[in-house]
Amino acid sequence: MDRRTFLAAQAAATMAGSLAGGAKAAAAASRPAPVDFKTSAPAKGSFPDRWICGSESCMDNTDPPVHVHWYDPHTAILRQNKAYSYEAPFAPLYFGNDRVLLLDEGFTQLRNDWDLRGVVDQCIAQWCARNGRDPASLELLVAFSHLHDDHFAATNQFADRPRTRYMGLTHEEMVGFWGMTNFPEERVTLDLGGRDILIWGSPGHVISEFAYYDTYTQILYTGDMFYRGRCYISFWDHWFASMQRLIDFCDTHPVSHVMGCHVEISKDGQDYPYGLTWQPDEAPVQMTVEQLRHAFEFAKTITKPGIYFTGTVFLCNQTRSTTTIDQNPYRYG
Amino acid sequence: MAASSNSPAVPGQGAVATAPFYPNGNPALPLNPPGVRNTDSAVPLHRSAPVVHDYNCEGPAAGKLAFRWIYGSNVAAKNRDPRVQVVQYNEDTYVLRQNVCVHWEAPFTYLLFGNGGALLIDTGATANARYYPLRETVDAIIARWADARGRKRVPLTIALTSGEDIAQNQGLGQFAGRADTTFVPRPLEVMKQHYGLGKSWPAGLGTIDLGGRVIRVVPTPGTHKDGVSFYDPYCDLLFTGDFFYPGKIQIGNDRDFVASLERVKAFMADNPVRWILGGHIEMMFAPGRYYPRFATYKPYERVLEMEPELVDEVLRYAREIEGKTMMMLRGDFALYNGVSPDQRTQVWPADLPKLFPPHPF
Repeated sequence: MDRRTFLAAQAAATMAGSLAGGAKAAAAASRPAPVDFKTSAPAKGSFPDRWICGSESCMDNTDPPVHVHWYDPHTAILRQNKAYSYEAPFAPLYFGNDRVLLLDEGFTQLRNDWDLRGVVDQCIAQWCARNGRDPASLELLVAFSHLHDDHFAATNQFADRPRTRYMGLTHEEMVGFWGMTNFPEERVTLDLGGRDILIWGSPGHVISEFAYYDTYTQILYTGDMFYRGRCYISFWDHWFASMQRLIDFCDTHPVSHVMGCHVEISKDGQDYPYGLTWQPDEAPVQMTVEQLRHAFEFAKTITKPGIYFTGTVFLCNQTRSTTTIDQNPYRYG
Repeated sequence: MAASSNSPAVPGQGAVATAPFYPNGNPALPLNPPGVRNTDSAVPLHRSAPVVHDYNCEGPAAGKLAFRWIYGSNVAAKNRDPRVQVVQYNEDTYVLRQNVCVHWEAPFTYLLFGNGGALLIDTGATANARYYPLRETVDAIIARWADARGRKRVPLTIALTSGEDIAQNQGLGQFAGRADTTFVPRPLEVMKQHYGLGKSWPAGLGTIDLGGRVIRVVPTPGTHKDGVSFYDPYCDLLFTGDFFYPGKIQIGNDRDFVASLERVKAFMADNPVRWILGGHIEMMFAPGRYYPRFATYKPYERVLEMEPELVDEVLRYAREIEGKTMMMLRGDFALYNGVSPDQRTQVWPADLPKLFPPHPF
């Protein structure tokens, strides 16, 4: 927003405030009927065949800084470009009639480096245009899956955005943000305006992590405690209990996809080592409930620290955080 | 070591921490040191014959790594640094670095000239000339050098510190079909024959004669079974590739590694070394800190050049871990013996200060 439009917006806001009630009523009348997220669930949606996945030479990468994929007309999934950060996390953006929820803010801090806020604003503008809404009428909630900096680096880009609330960077502020008093067991319901997001604690990878379930797409978003890659399990007992909670949830709720924050594995199960910036043959980000259940059954057999492949994910039980299964290819006898 | 120039010692460039620092030159040194004759005069307007350069000198020829290396950028996609950074060490010695955002290995490549030709040591980590135009850059440096020296032809030899190292041999294909070019053959067996080391390997020394500047080839298997180092008696530089460099040294065979270090140490007793120059930098300037694999932004890199005394330290710790599957962290390097290249250790060396470099993201 340049200075002129900024001043104009202020003037318009002042004018709108002083108008007679009739005009407000007219505006309300012209507002389209709210989107029905309840009876149309589960939403028909799809993941792309291929996400942007880096390039041989990073400085020659021509992909957009953020890959925006509309899973359905009310759900965008964002992925950071690997040439902007090797972590390349996935971030869902859920739209409700009153609020928008952004889960995860990537691994690049500054807007001049990586304009996440601009991309989110563009998504909101597109959704509003499609649904006849005013972007200013929507509140944006900026939250994240867990307390690691590759998931919240860009939060401060939203500091001066109107109608926006964002999660703090301590365990206390995170739990408080979702109004929990009994983490991790307590499951809260976040109402985005006709679209409920169920949230509960999911510690194990880190202490401060949540699981998010969207009642509309029925996607279970499991952050970094369970994703297509190396699930670095820092605290086994916490993680195992969190897995049990996910399984119990799947027993009682319909789940369309299980989705984590990263992909670090190829379609044929090859490990992409930590930090890689080119993953040309990536596995899909989404997983099935069966894969989650199988991984849990597999986990029940694990008694010692180490790296275990379940066929879907690597379970890295208390191995130091970036240790991979790579070997030195030049070893000789 | 003879004082080779009157130029100030620059911190971090081989200056001993306790040595006096002369930002404006040391007035105690001679104003016309003998090393002056190793630089060819630019005064003559027309030359009647090619310049015959004098590669004889007492002590190391004058030269300096005065510039900082390109180190990638926070957002690799936005990097606009040169794809190949060229730094002249002196008129006859060039150091080339691959852009970190083209390939994270960011290898160093060295180009040396003699009266009879040029030597390219290593060829970078990327084959595609569009991303990494090594040949174009080398050709341009050679053309300029040849013009300055009045030479019609400059035969080029291309040698690798290891033929099997894909972080150093990828650019080789760019030189295919290049006229007047000798490739040191791969693999190990033919390379040995080429250097005349068929019988003695890994003992013995090979040579590459550049004309007045005879480069010694020192077999240094240990990280690679076909590893060699190159010694330049003109600048007193030892080029070690990834056998020894300020980074995460991946030992391929620990007995060979120790034996090669012992040979290098013995070699250095007879041949003065000003600096050891490796093939990469992975350490930060905070002791014991390093960049992980695949990093595309390394703003706190350690300097490239290593003091020759560091060989004693690496030898000591290489002996310590011989036969053990483990990682050993030191201030200027880390040794990986039989473990994952991403292995980490929670053992912090007691003699190193614990500094925490800021984490850019």
